[in-house]
Amino acid sequence: MENPCLFHLNMKRLICLILAGLLLILPSSACAPKEKTPLVVFAAGSLMKPFSDLEKAFESANPDIDVRAEYHGSIQVMRHVTDLHEDIDLVATADLSLIPQLMYAVNDPDTGKPYADWAIAMASNKLSIAYTPESKYASEINAENWWEVLSRPDVKVGLSDPRFDAVGYRMMMVFALAQKETGKATLFDDFLQDQFQRPVRLIDLGDQQIIRIPELLETTANSRIMMRGSSVALIALLQSGEVDYAFEYDSVIRQHGFERLELPDNLNLGNPDFEADYASVTVRLDFKRFKTVDPVFKGELIRYGLTIPSSAPNPDAATRFIQFLYSEAGQKVMQDNYHPLILPLTVDHPELLPPALQEMTGR
Amino acid sequence: MKEQKLPPGFTIGFSLVILLIVLPLVMTFLSTSASQLALSLSDEQVARSIGLTLSAGAAATCIGLLIGLPAAYLLARFKFRGKAIFESIINLPLVIPHSAAGIALLLVFGRKGLLGGPLSRLGLVFSDRPAGIVLGMLFVSLPLLINAARDAFVAVDPEIEHSARVDGASPWEVFWKVTLPLAWRGVLSGAITMWARGISEFGAVMILAYSPKIIPVLIFERFQGLGLAAATPITALWIFLILVLFGIVRYLANSIDR
Repeated sequence: MENPCLFHLNMKRLICLILAGLLLILPSSACAPKEKTPLVVFAAGSLMKPFSDLEKAFESANPDIDVRAEYHGSIQVMRHVTDLHEDIDLVATADLSLIPQLMYAVNDPDTGKPYADWAIAMASNKLSIAYTPESKYASEINAENWWEVLSRPDVKVGLSDPRFDAVGYRMMMVFALAQKETGKATLFDDFLQDQFQRPVRLIDLGDQQIIRIPELLETTANSRIMMRGSSVALIALLQSGEVDYAFEYDSVIRQHGFERLELPDNLNLGNPDFEADYASVTVRLDFKRFKTVDPVFKGELIRYGLTIPSSAPNPDAATRFIQFLYSEAGQKVMQDNYHPLILPLTVDHPELLPPALQEMTGR
Repeated sequence: MKEQKLPPGFTIGFSLVILLIVLPLVMTFLSTSASQLALSLSDEQVARSIGLTLSAGAAATCIGLLIGLPAAYLLARFKFRGKAIFESIINLPLVIPHSAAGIALLLVFGRKGLLGGPLSRLGLVFSDRPAGIVLGMLFVSLPLLINAARDAFVAVDPEIEHSARVDGASPWEVFWKVTLPLAWRGVLSGAITMWARGISEFGAVMILAYSPKIIPVLIFERFQGLGLAAATPITALWIFLILVLFGIVRYLANSIDR
């Protein structure tokens, strides 16, 4: 029996259902009290903890701004700006030198201007080895034998990918420096040989050491090494016992309360007195196909870099964030996260800084 | 089937659905060139990853058939205490985020996990090993097979099974010789769906076994680390491959039937 009203009723129900669905969505968008200025921050994974704390403190002091932060490996952070043309207001990387390499040198096709023309040397750090009381040989490892322990066949080590992440290429430098320091000619190979399908090579020229990373870097089927895109991705692996040891920034290890093996100052890339030693190592990525980056990483003191891309939609909000970072409250957040700022604000081209920040350089 | 005039209101919705699916896929092809596609295919990492992805999906589906078909048969034919709850449990992987599934699996099958610990001493390692990939795929796609197989078993007339039983066949023989041959089409379609879902899995596999890299992980890594230009050709290649592959599978499934 045909009943036209039945269809009508169902139609009404259907529309009610859709409207109810829309009502669920509305409050979060249209009915929100007032439009906040979004501040999109892309930062190195190792800044996740301090920057999350900063975000909270900054937002409560600046209720008109909504911080939206994402954390990636440092090279990936740059790529989101220069390659994917995302609207990003503030960039913070674990390697200051990446900003000139990957942002000064690349022009924004919309404006014809480079993606950045100044970089603040925000903070330093040093490399250490994270482990847990359950890690194999935890009671045995020390600053003299760490490289030997990490090379044992039954020890699992977490590395971040040197092609994408600063800890990745920096830990390679640490092994090269250790080889030079100890005079043990096979130290580097003992750790890395047979772990990758295409080898990572150390070319030892005596005073200069060059590490060559193949374009396609994949661990072998029975590798002791577990590799991830960024060093912070190794934290979970360490906690779940998948790896016994992982290379991390010292600040990150302390933030997470892991056991920490401090490497000697001449190896850890964190002591300015040893800059000349660090400079003897270079990491080269043998990129042929993916030519968009052709980076060469020179061994140097770890410096974090901070800049506002020229393509930033809200540079003023980003400026306020940097001002907050260097305020007493901001400094304290960084201190509490074992990651103190370099003070006063240090920048390569002070004259190009936003005026509001220039006075903070102490010139 | 005779061509019918389509009602306009429905046609609009229908067109939007098709557009929503086709447009992004077409864009990936337009954003890459034939030479880039060929280059991707000659990329040994990509080739290896394709093989790994397809075979891990096939392995997951085989294990799925082995453990899923008996489960589906139980659900189709028998009444038992807590059946509704068990059915919900089987469907859980469909509603939890796949990253969450990966973490849950890691806790059980990781190197120090509840089962992963003892199994690793026996030489079966899941983290960053092919076994972990298979497990991740199995976990997220098994419900699709079980649901499809259960519906197929339900559609088989119990009377036929009953007569076979009366003639002296054991339950096991009835299942193999009567029910499965009658329900195979639904089971096969479920297995294909499971395989398709398995090989497209990203979240769970990435957490348990990031490496060796299956195609979804490789695409993500190239996108994140090497950029859009590096990721688009494999994306297009994979979509193309899947279209061809499922075209063939559907054609075969249809032709066997006739």
